[in-house]
Amino acid sequence: MVSTTEIFEVLTTIPDPEMPISITDLGLIEEIVLNDTNVLIKLLPTFIGCFALPAIASDIKQKVVELQGIDSVEIEFVHDPPWSTDRITDNGRISLAEHGISVPDGSSPCCSTGTTDTVELTTSAFTCPWCNSIDTTLTSPFGPTRCKSIHFCNACRQPFERMKKV
Amino acid sequence: MTELEKQFQSPMVNLLLSIADDKLFLGHRNSDWTGIAPILEADIAFSSLAQDDIAHASAIYQLIHTLTGEDPDQIAFGRTENEYRCADIVTKNDEFNWAFAIARQFYCNTFDFVRLQRLSASSWVPLSSLAKRLCAEQAIHVDHVHSWIKHLGKGNEDSNARIQNALDTFAPYAAMLFEKPVGIDILHEAEILTDHSAFFVSWKNSIEPTIDTAGLTLNIQQDELQGGRSGKHDEDFTQSLCELQEVFSTDPLAAW
Repeated sequence: MVSTTEIFEVLTTIPDPEMPISITDLGLIEEIVLNDTNVLIKLLPTFIGCFALPAIASDIKQKVVELQGIDSVEIEFVHDPPWSTDRITDNGRISLAEHGISVPDGSSPCCSTGTTDTVELTTSAFTCPWCNSIDTTLTSPFGPTRCKSIHFCNACRQPFERMKKV
Repeated sequence: MTELEKQFQSPMVNLLLSIADDKLFLGHRNSDWTGIAPILEADIAFSSLAQDDIAHASAIYQLIHTLTGEDPDQIAFGRTENEYRCADIVTKNDEFNWAFAIARQFYCNTFDFVRLQRLSASSWVPLSSLAKRLCAEQAIHVDHVHSWIKHLGKGNEDSNARIQNALDTFAPYAAMLFEKPVGIDILHEAEILTDHSAFFVSWKNSIEPTIDTAGLTLNIQQDELQGGRSGKHDEDFTQSLCELQEVFSTDPLAAW
């Protein structure tokens, strides 16, 4: 009989298709519901319009169904609680930094505050993941994936990406 | 389906259609800019905005599916003109005029943000949880387009005049965003929608500070005209719908 812990272990080996970390380090897994030989895995999409979601779902199905004692794998994308950058693990943060991707810390902004200043894009000083300088500028709030913005470090003259704070 | 969902299915579906249709058609229009926006970053941004808008619409059609059982693709692409509930500002032809595109985006994105904030307080949990999620992403859109308005307003005399002209040209259509979806009062009375504050005023308060900073003026009056939200659309909508349905209608039963 397979356990949810064993299923989670398998999920830790699945990389995000667009990010140099696993889907578990990215904080996508919300719940694993095991019902005898059938498992339902609830995932939180980073952004609703993320192109990688079908690929992630198919990777999970392929890997988890190989476990002995599992007959069927179902994937459900849920929005409650909303995914936020706070869900990225420490391991994930280290790996992202090594790849030149900066990650916001602190609590997520909430859209119910009544202002539109919930996004940190308006402030310019983000730490460069390459040299730790805060002399950086925002190049574009829209980057190669839905969850990242593009920045430039004036100190080491390198571009870098940053996970958007949602 | 819960008792509540059964009882209020019709006004709920109508409200959801107004949100999703706004997003679907705005995304469709914005994707026209892919490859030809004035600078590379703006090009990526408009394509990303389009991608988000269409994905948001899809998530809402999915929610409608849980109420009616209808196929989400069929809801998105398979209706007749008078069954769409968007306000026609989203399909207005922007003539590939960047100021028009930005003005429309400014009005619509801020409207959508305020609308999602209000829906986040709904007592119907599937709606409030989705609205909260969409709101966090919508905030990024709002932030982006507000910075464009400031950029153009404060640029030089020419850019200021062009964006002012665009804001004025689109203002009457922006006012039509506020046409009430049929049956929304029922949802308010039943406390399914709990935010009763004045929508137009909240929206105006959200855009005025940016207009002021940009050195522009806002010339808009609220009106009570019936239009897109009641299924009465203009020619630009008809043309947009034709484009949108062109591929789908060749084989409505194809698997996507």
